[in-house]
Amino acid sequence: MNLAVSYRSSPYNPGHAVLGMPGIGMAPALAVSGIAKHFGQQTILGGIDLEVRPGEIVALIGPSGCGKSTLLNILSGLLPPDAGHISIGGARTTGFDDWRRVAYMFQEDRLLPWRTVRDNVSFGLEGSAVPRGERRRRTADALRLVGLDGVATAWPHELSGGMRSRAALARSLVVQPAVLLMDEPFSRLDPQTRSQMHDEVLRIQADSGMTVIFVTHDMEEAVVLADRIIRLAPHPGRIVEALEMEDLPRPRIPTEPEVAERIRQLRVRT
Amino acid sequence: MPKHLVTLVAQRALLAGVILLLWWIGASRLPSFVLPGPQKVAQALVSLWDSETFALDILTTCRRVLLGFGIATVVGTVLGLALGASRLLARFFEPMLALFNTVSSAIWAIFAIIWFGISDTTTVFVVFMTAMPLILTNVWQGAQTVEAQYVDLARSFHMSPPQILLKIYGPTILPYFFSGARLAFGFGWRVSLVAETIGASNGIGYRLRQAADLVQTDQVFAWTVLLVGLMLVLEGGVLKPLERRLFRWKAFSLSSRPASLQTN
Ligand SMILES: Nc1ncnc2c1ncn2[C@@H]1O[C@H](COP(=O)(O)OP(=O)(O)OP(=O)(O)O)[C@@H](O)[C@H]1O
Ligand SMILES: [Mg+2]
Repeated sequence: MNLAVSYRSSPYNPGHAVLGMPGIGMAPALAVSGIAKHFGQQTILGGIDLEVRPGEIVALIGPSGCGKSTLLNILSGLLPPDAGHISIGGARTTGFDDWRRVAYMFQEDRLLPWRTVRDNVSFGLEGSAVPRGERRRRTADALRLVGLDGVATAWPHELSGGMRSRAALARSLVVQPAVLLMDEPFSRLDPQTRSQMHDEVLRIQADSGMTVIFVTHDMEEAVVLADRIIRLAPHPGRIVEALEMEDLPRPRIPTEPEVAERIRQLRVRT
Repeated sequence: MPKHLVTLVAQRALLAGVILLLWWIGASRLPSFVLPGPQKVAQALVSLWDSETFALDILTTCRRVLLGFGIATVVGTVLGLALGASRLLARFFEPMLALFNTVSSAIWAIFAIIWFGISDTTTVFVVFMTAMPLILTNVWQGAQTVEAQYVDLARSFHMSPPQILLKIYGPTILPYFFSGARLAFGFGWRVSLVAETIGASNGIGYRLRQAADLVQTDQVFAWTVLLVGLMLVLEGGVLKPLERRLFRWKAFSLSSRPASLQTN
């Protein structure tokens, strides 16, 4: 298994805009305070505070139904919270347009069956005023980035599960996001393909410097990927613990004793 | 040529041969005003081709059908989308649809005569009333199958409502629309002839009625052969290839097109 993270230079560098914003410096890539959400009588999220540094990889874990997807929906701008603020790159959000550089990879790949792989990826740019030529170039770049340039004209139903995941990832990356949100992104893949996808995500993150926030039930995934693991508890959904993982050296191979020990510790806690 | 194709062509040729033979035997025993023979019908076809009004009749009927079908497409699509978008509207208008689907085209033709007399409008109206509910039903059905997940996906990429309509609703509904439109065109075309026999003074339907009144059975046969040929060309030369091209992505599921309602 190849878990080495390569730091090759890339023409594709979504991170720079956030870091380069004048007067912001190291403002959190994403910050929320006092986020609450109710569905009917039920309080699903009761006051979430969270700051994520630029380039940080954060895992959200917690039992089923504790509101992880709901929190991610709110972070994506798709679901308005009942209370609280959201800041992106240090600026308080006022409208959905402020979310242009936040990409959301849903739990299902949601590839449109009537579009080829290439057109599914370029779909990510069709909501923005990107000129056709640039759209084509960025689509090709994103496909190459995830290793799908060979199947650009295939239909989604012709792809394997891993390839479908890659296509969905490419569609999120084509917008050159400063923040990438992922909801149990690789949970449906077999272990080997999943760990390949982990390598891909780490490589792309290292090249681009983007911030990644993802939900997972897989403790191995959390330990292998995350700089910080945030544990939520239900009724109401709240953060109960934040585990710093930055002291754990990379690449992290699950079979190595130090990594295995972290995974074991995490399983014991939950 | 692949083997199964050769077999198919042979089978079709055999079938055509058998029909021609039966026709020929039957015609030789019956008076020609009951069943004219193949040669006589061929002659009628040639004389039809040479007649002054031939092209005009065909164009007139086509114009009426296309007009009725075109209006039905626009109205049916818009109404289908509206019903698909609003549950309230859908519940309210559902009985109307059942009504439209049960009233026979012949009844619409009779109403059309009363309201519009002998005119283009009569045929256009009957085609419209036959085609519109079919298209509406199918578009509505298609709109109900639009995946909320895809709509959220489009929203997450900051697409506007018109873009979502075009990029998510459009492709989802298209197969439904297509099978509805195809059915509607077929029915519309057939009922246009019925409407023309009673409510027009030119067009294919009118000529058919004229030939029947004058007991020119060979002419009736000639028109029939012509119409069958026209529909086969349209089906195999336009609709089938178009469908194959539009729904390439389906590959396996072409046979699971939505079942459409019967009319007439
Ligand atoms: N649109 C909605 N309307 C009403 N209740 C909802 C809605 N969406 C989510 N809920 C409820 O909110 C709670 C949290 O749901 P959420 O999907 O955020 O959980 P989760 O932590 O992602 O769970 P899982 O790990 O199973 O994906 C659940 O009890 C769910 O039933
Ligand atoms: Mg969830």
